[in-house]
Amino acid sequence: MEEIKKSRIRLIASGLIPFAFLIVMMLYLFGPSSGLLEFGVPLPEITIEKVEFLEYEIHVTVRNTGPIPVVIAMADVNDRIQPAAIEPDKFLERFESVLVRIPFSWNTSEPYTIGITLDDGVRFEKFTEAATPAIKSDYELAGFFAIIGTYVGIIPVMIGLLWLPFIKRIGKNKYNFFLALTVGLLFFLGIDALLEGFEISKENISAAFNGELLIITVTLLSFLGLYYSAEKLTSRTSLTASSKPFAIGLMIAIGIGLHNLGEGLAIGAAIGLGQVALSTFLIVGFALHNTTEGIAIASPIAKTKSPIFKIIILGLIAGAPTILGTWIGGFFYSPYTAIIFLSMGAGAIFQVMLIILKWLYQSEQKLVQTSIVSGVGVGMLIMYITSILV
Amino acid sequence: MLMLTAIIGISTIIVFTSFSEAQLEQKTFVTHSGQIIKTSGDVLDPLYTASTVEFDPMRYLREFNYGRVSQLSDGTILREFTIIAEDNKIQEISPGVFYNVWTFNGTVPGPTIRVTEGDVVRINFINNGSKSHTIHFHGIHQAEMDGVFEPVGPSGGQFTYEFIAGPVGVHPYHCHVMPLEEHIVHGLYGVFIVDPKEARPQADEMVMVLNGFDTDFDTENNFYAANTIPFYYQHHPIQISTGELIRIYVVNMVEFDPINNFHLHGNLYQYYPTGTSLVPSTFTDMITLSQTERGIMEFQYTYPGKYLFHAHKVEFSEKGWVGLFLVQETKESSGE
Repeated sequence: MEEIKKSRIRLIASGLIPFAFLIVMMLYLFGPSSGLLEFGVPLPEITIEKVEFLEYEIHVTVRNTGPIPVVIAMADVNDRIQPAAIEPDKFLERFESVLVRIPFSWNTSEPYTIGITLDDGVRFEKFTEAATPAIKSDYELAGFFAIIGTYVGIIPVMIGLLWLPFIKRIGKNKYNFFLALTVGLLFFLGIDALLEGFEISKENISAAFNGELLIITVTLLSFLGLYYSAEKLTSRTSLTASSKPFAIGLMIAIGIGLHNLGEGLAIGAAIGLGQVALSTFLIVGFALHNTTEGIAIASPIAKTKSPIFKIIILGLIAGAPTILGTWIGGFFYSPYTAIIFLSMGAGAIFQVMLIILKWLYQSEQKLVQTSIVSGVGVGMLIMYITSILV
Repeated sequence: MLMLTAIIGISTIIVFTSFSEAQLEQKTFVTHSGQIIKTSGDVLDPLYTASTVEFDPMRYLREFNYGRVSQLSDGTILREFTIIAEDNKIQEISPGVFYNVWTFNGTVPGPTIRVTEGDVVRINFINNGSKSHTIHFHGIHQAEMDGVFEPVGPSGGQFTYEFIAGPVGVHPYHCHVMPLEEHIVHGLYGVFIVDPKEARPQADEMVMVLNGFDTDFDTENNFYAANTIPFYYQHHPIQISTGELIRIYVVNMVEFDPINNFHLHGNLYQYYPTGTSLVPSTFTDMITLSQTERGIMEFQYTYPGKYLFHAHKVEFSEKGWVGLFLVQETKESSGE
C-alpha cells in the first residue's frame, strides 16, 4: 500500500518537475534577464479589421496586433485629417480592439482609404473599393438573406438529390463512378474552403494571430473529431447494410452543411462590407455549383431504401446552413468566425471523402480502376468549371 | 475572512461607481459640417481642440531676435548671436503625435534672426547634437562662411560665422550637412531678416514658416503647418486690427512636395518676392512658393471678422496648414 502511494507521488512529481523548471525559466526571462534578449526596437502595429459606412459616420474597428501597447492619435479619410471619437479610449493594450467613429458625409460607391495614425506618427491604412451603407439588422434584410440562402443553398442541393432515382437504377460500375465523382466533388470543395480561409486570413487578420495555422489546426481537429465520433457511432450501432450508407450520407450532409455555412458567411459578408454587387449571375453560378453537392449526398444512399422525408432532411442539413451563414456574415461579420467555419467545413469534407474511399475499397478491394479514377477526375473538373461561374 | 469580504465589497463598489461614472460622462465635439457627436470615449481632434504643446506658435509669430549689439571702432554695428544645435528632442508636433525634432536653440523653426543691412553679424554656433551640423545662411557672404564645407562636429563642436548683413530681404538659414533632406525635414531651419537701413513703415509684423513633418518616413509629409503646429492658428486665431498695416515674412520650408502656396481670405496683399525690393511685384491673394522661396506680404483689413488663410493646395490645408485672422475694430482715439 505504502509502496503504491510512494510510486504514485513519484509519478506525479516527475510529471510536474519540468513544469516547475519552465516556470522558473519564464520568471527569469521576464525578470532579471529581461534586458538580455531584447534585440532591436519593438515596432507598434495595428490592424484595421473593419470599415463600416453609416449615415454621416464611418466606423472603423482597430486592433492592436503588435508586440507593445499603442496610443491612437489621429484618424484620416483619404489622407485628410478628420476629427474623430474613439471608444472606449485611445489606449490599446496588446490584442485590444477599439471603435473609431469618424463623422463624414461619404458618397455611395466611391472608394475611400481610412488612415489611423499612432502617437509615434506612423500611419496605417485600409482601402475600401466602394462605400456601401452598412447593413442594419432588420427583418426585411434578414428575409432577403434567407431568399438568397435558399436559392444558393437549399434549392440546388434538392435538385442534385433528384438524381437519386437515376443513380438507383444504374449498374455497379456506374454506381462506383458516381461515388468516386462524389469524392472528386468533395476534394475540390475542401481545397476551395481552405483557399478561401487563407485569403480571408491574409486580407483581414494580422500575422500576430497566425491565421494560416488556425485554419490548419481547426481543419485537422474537425477532421479527427468527426472521424473519431463516426467510427464510434458506426461500431456501436450494430452495422446493417442499410444504416451505414445512410450514416455516410448524413456525414456528407453535415460536412457540406458546414461548408455551405462558410459559403453563406462569405456571401453575407461580401454584401455587408460592400465588396460585391450581388448579381443574378453570381447567384446562378453558386446555384449551379451547389447542385453538385446534392449528387454527393445522393450517391452513397442510392442503393438503400430511404424514406423520402429522410432524404429531404439530408438536403436541408446540407443546404439550410447557407441561410444561417448569410445572416452571421451580413450582420455580425468577423474574419475569425469566417475562417473557423470554413476550416471546420474543410475538415468535415476531408473526413467524409476518406470514408467513401474506404467504403469503395472495402467493396472493390482496389481503388485503381477506370470507374473510380475517372469519377474522381470528372468530379473535380465539374467543380472547376462551375466554379468559374462564381 | 470578514476583512477580506469587506475589502472585496468596498473595492467592487469603488470600481463599479467609477465605471458607471465613466459611462455617464459623455464628451461632445462639433465637426466642420456642424454635426454634434457624443461619445463616451476619447476625442481625437487636432482641428478644433485647443491643446497645449511644447512649442508656442503664437510667441514665435512675433518674436524677433536682434542679438547682443555693440559698435566696432569704425562705427559699424556688430550683432552677436549664440545658436545651439541639438538632435535628441522628442516633441509633440500635433496633439498626441510625437516626433524627434532637430533644433536650433530648442525650437522648430529656430530663432528669427533680425539685423539691418550693413551690420556685422556674428553667430557663435555650438553643436550639442550627436551628428555634425552647420548653419548655412542664404545671402551674400564669403565662401568659408557658407556652412557647407566646414561641418561642425557633434558634442560641443563650435564655429563662428561672421559676415556683413545683406542683401535686404527675408532669407532662410538651415543646416547643410548631408544627407541634407534629413537634416532639413527634422527641423534645422529658421528665418533671417535683413532690414533696409531706412526702416520699412511701422506695421504689425509676423513670421510664418511654412513647414511639414514626415512622421512615418515615407518621403511624404503627414502634417503641414504655418509655424510647425498643424491647425494651431485655426483654434488660436491671430488677433489683428482693422486699418492696421500687417507685414508677414513668409518662408516656405516644405520638403518632398514641389510647391506650396498662400491664400488670404477677404483681402489681397502686396507681395515683395524675397523682400529684396522695396516695390511690390504684385497685388494678389495667392502666391506659389517652391523650396525655400520666400517673400514679404503687406495688407490691411477694412472689415472686422474672421478670415481664413491657408494653402490652396487643399491637401496641405486639410493636414494642418490653415489658420485664422480675427480682425477687430480699431478703437478710434480711445480715452483722449
